Amino acid sequence: MFFLHNLERRVTLHPSYFGRNMHELVTSKLVKDVEGTCAGDYYIIAIMDTFDVSEGRILPGSGLAEFTVGYRAVVWRPFKGEVIDAITQTVNPHGFFAQAGPLRLFVSSHLMPDEIQYDASATPAQFTNNADIVIEQGTHVRVKIIGLRTEVGEMWAIGSINGDFLGCLQA
Amino acid sequence: MTKTVGLGARLRYPITIVKLHKRPGDKIRKQETLMEYSFKWMKEVGDTIRGNTWQQEQTTIVTWDSPSDGELTRWLIREGEHILSDRKAIEVKEECSHEIQFQGLCGMCGKDMTEVNWAVETRDTARAPINMVHDQTNLTVSEVHAQRTEQELQRRLLQSRKLSLVVDLDQTIIQACIDPTVGEWQADPTNPNHESVKGIKSFQLDDGPTNLAKQCSYYIKMRPGLESFLRSIAEMYELHVYTMGTRAYAQNVARVVDPDKKLFGNRVLSRDENGSILAKDLQRLFPVSTHMVAIIDDRSDVWPRNRPNLIKVSPYEFFKGIGDINSSFLPKRQDLSSTGPTANGVKKRKRNEPAPKSKDDAAAVDDPAVTKLQVEEQKRTFEKQINDRPLQALQEKLDKEDEEAEKATVQSEDGSESRSSSPPPSQRHRVLHDDDEELEYLQQHLTSLHTAYYAEYDNNLASQNTAAVDSTTVPDAGCILDELKGGVLQGIRIVLSGVLPRGIDIYGSEIGLQIMSFGAELRPTVTKDVTHLVVNTAQPGREKLLEARRRPHIKIVSQEWLVACFTQWAVVDEAPYVFSARLMEEDDPDHRPVVSDDEDTQEDAQEDTHDNNNNNAPDTNNNTPKLTNGTKPTRLRLVPITTGTHTPAEGDRRDEDDEPGLLPSDPVDGQRSPIDFTNMNWGTADEEVAEFLASGSSDEEDDDDDDDGDDDNSEDGGDEDVDVELPAGEAVPASASASVAVVRKRKGRDEEEDDEDGGDGDGDEDEGKGGEKGENGAPAKRLRRTDSQRGPSLRNLYATGGGGEGGDDGAGSGLPTPGRSDGQDVDMDAPPPDGGDAGGGEEEEEEEMDFDVAELEAEFEAEFDKAELEAQMAAEQAYGAGLTGGEDTEKG
Repeated sequence: MFFLHNLERRVTLHPSYFGRNMHELVTSKLVKDVEGTCAGDYYIIAIMDTFDVSEGRILPGSGLAEFTVGYRAVVWRPFKGEVIDAITQTVNPHGFFAQAGPLRLFVSSHLMPDEIQYDASATPAQFTNNADIVIEQGTHVRVKIIGLRTEVGEMWAIGSINGDFLGCLQA
Repeated sequence: MTKTVGLGARLRYPITIVKLHKRPGDKIRKQETLMEYSFKWMKEVGDTIRGNTWQQEQTTIVTWDSPSDGELTRWLIREGEHILSDRKAIEVKEECSHEIQFQGLCGMCGKDMTEVNWAVETRDTARAPINMVHDQTNLTVSEVHAQRTEQELQRRLLQSRKLSLVVDLDQTIIQACIDPTVGEWQADPTNPNHESVKGIKSFQLDDGPTNLAKQCSYYIKMRPGLESFLRSIAEMYELHVYTMGTRAYAQNVARVVDPDKKLFGNRVLSRDENGSILAKDLQRLFPVSTHMVAIIDDRSDVWPRNRPNLIKVSPYEFFKGIGDINSSFLPKRQDLSSTGPTANGVKKRKRNEPAPKSKDDAAAVDDPAVTKLQVEEQKRTFEKQINDRPLQALQEKLDKEDEEAEKATVQSEDGSESRSSSPPPSQRHRVLHDDDEELEYLQQHLTSLHTAYYAEYDNNLASQNTAAVDSTTVPDAGCILDELKGGVLQGIRIVLSGVLPRGIDIYGSEIGLQIMSFGAELRPTVTKDVTHLVVNTAQPGREKLLEARRRPHIKIVSQEWLVACFTQWAVVDEAPYVFSARLMEEDDPDHRPVVSDDEDTQEDAQEDTHDNNNNNAPDTNNNTPKLTNGTKPTRLRLVPITTGTHTPAEGDRRDEDDEPGLLPSDPVDGQRSPIDFTNMNWGTADEEVAEFLASGSSDEEDDDDDDDGDDDNSEDGGDEDVDVELPAGEAVPASASASVAVVRKRKGRDEEEDDEDGGDGDGDEDEGKGGEKGENGAPAKRLRRTDSQRGPSLRNLYATGGGGEGGDDGAGSGLPTPGRSDGQDVDMDAPPPDGGDAGGGEEEEEEEMDFDVAELEAEFEAEFDKAELEAQMAAEQAYGAGLTGGEDTEKG
């Protein structure tokens, strides 16, 4: 789920950048550092605006200036039970991997409707019910997140397509 | 999904169950109290200050908490039960068995498997330990699940009548190279190599190891006929790629080879997912059963566990001298390679490195320091290839040669090189030749494997009337492959000469294993029942070669014959491969530099010249001793020794050394030869010499006998004679000991080294001796013989070096050279004071013991390599002993 989230971060600036456009520099450095990262259990998708750049404070010893920047960002936090769309990456006999933006999902064959079976003889390999549903590399799928785990800078999820309106998305 | 749960080892047994809190049918969760138990323990009570304390038994009641989620189905313990040790306590029906896990998440229920708590003894992540997916390392499954998946796979394959084939990339179906020269040649139609490089595809990778190699182009040359090969093979096999390259590399190559992804699909496994950079393992892909899998790879040493399933392909070497760009992490290749002379120099030098090195590599599996070194080495090789452009250099060299040749021959038509436009560019010699036909044969083999496999499967099915997939109906492809290969060289007995570095266990070596896997017998020495002698044309082993030449039924072939046999799975006609050249070691330019590594280059050279002499007339060689009178040979032999360095006799000795260039400098030598001297009794030696000079005539006769009896039984341990000869030779010039010492040392060394010339020669000699005995001291002789026969079996096994020597000498004796006869004489007469030959035998034994001690020391000192060498020699010796009963009496 997406949120607008108010966040704060300390940005340091090298003395050689001190000058009139310091605030711009601080902002751009913030954007560079923060956008697209995984901060704990959410991803910071985009920074909307920086509403508060504090006065710089010279750090004793190094001479760097430190600014405390308050900013507002679009963050995405996947929740257990949330339904998201993803793109299939690889298919193997145990299930398939899908990518939802920055999040890597695994959907195991146990979490699919019974009629969907692995077909290794197809090229490329696919999960199919021998009718309208074919999940192969590149297929868009709608999955429900049933498990999430985070580590520093990384997140993984287990998805399920066992349910109404889940699974293969017809283009 | 019921499982039984134990009480756990952490409880203070013995315990008594006090109360069960849950009943069967109750839902339980981790850390929930399931029952209470009590245990007794001793507590120190009393007045601790005054020291007035005593032990009192206490009873404590503790709760036992559930290590598992689910539904309790049954208690396996009762209230009031006294339990002495850990045992099963409950049966739980679990909601999820956590059989598939992805990055610590259960793929079935989504729970975090990395959570740990005090109630559980094992981690949940341990429940799915197997990684069997090609392109992921973080997806693991349980054993049960792996088994199920694999059964499904087998069922599917059986239905479509296919097998799995694991395909290696580098040098098996393609060769890659990053030399930018290839790109230039492709762009330049006038280049002589343009035709060859036409079909080469390239791609760029930005994961190069260095800045330099970043964005470098990889040029991929497909093995000729690859496309049709893969297409037809794919009808019988499901193809997997298993390469030591990086993932990006593997995928790009797969794209080149198989643009539609019809053949490999996404069944590509690379170094990144392999888990080891040193070895490939079929269990990585097929953890349960490898019955339906075959492998094609150009290296068999990377498949330590899956040799039976492997079809070894001869490496594809299109870009000369480039090799396998992804093999930096692997130990050096150690097999027969039929590479052209251009790459030969390099290769040889590599081989010349002490063999044990590769073992060290293997031992240092995944040692981060080693890995780091190797990464750097790979960087270097990459840089080198890009900067040095080896291909260009080769071509330039070729051009230069062409030019010179032209200049030398004709001036009328100016060289086609200078104006390359007019004559077709192919007139210039080119470096790259595309003349590989391995795949044709490979396709035949794979087809026959497939046919044989399904024939057997149908048989099994018919006999069992079940369609079930189990281990009994599914034949093992490895076994079938063995059967197919095992008959190929059946009945052929092969001796290698100059092919393997000395000090390598021939039976454990790559070539040895391969020879044996094709059903041929590998022999350490040339004996009468040997059918083929395989020589390294670059540096043939003189001793065995001469021996083999004496026996016309032995076909002497170059190692390319062996390669051809391995490739075609048939006994190839030997005619094109017959090695008839004279021994011309000195003519071989490659030979020199290698030899220079050795300590005794000079001697080699001399020896070489001598070789030639001998070789020119092998027949006459045989005969001469017969013709001459008895005394002559001995004199001949003696003269050289006394005079010093390069005399015929010495040459003879040295000859026994099979491959001068390949000798690793042997630490044993230095240690051993001095021992000989210490053991020498110079006084007796002089006497011996005198006697032995006197007895020359009898020798002569012996020689004759030898020749005649060549092919007779070779069972007696004849080596003894030869051995004694050593001291005698030395003794002669007791005054001029220095030069003698040299000779001696070398001799001892030769003998040691020449492990492969086991005792068949000895056998002959023995016979001769036997005849001699008849004349002289038959009983004594017999005694001695029994000695030696008994001795060897025990001693030989570990006094291997000595054994090897014995064998050598024996082999040497195969030729009726003067030296030989000497030995015999001396033998008879050698142990003069001791009361006959029997005494001599004892002496020998004693000395042998000494020698053993020395050997042991050497073993300890010289690390792995030594041990290896020993083992090999022991093996050979044991083998040789079985045949000949030959002994290392030499020492004496």
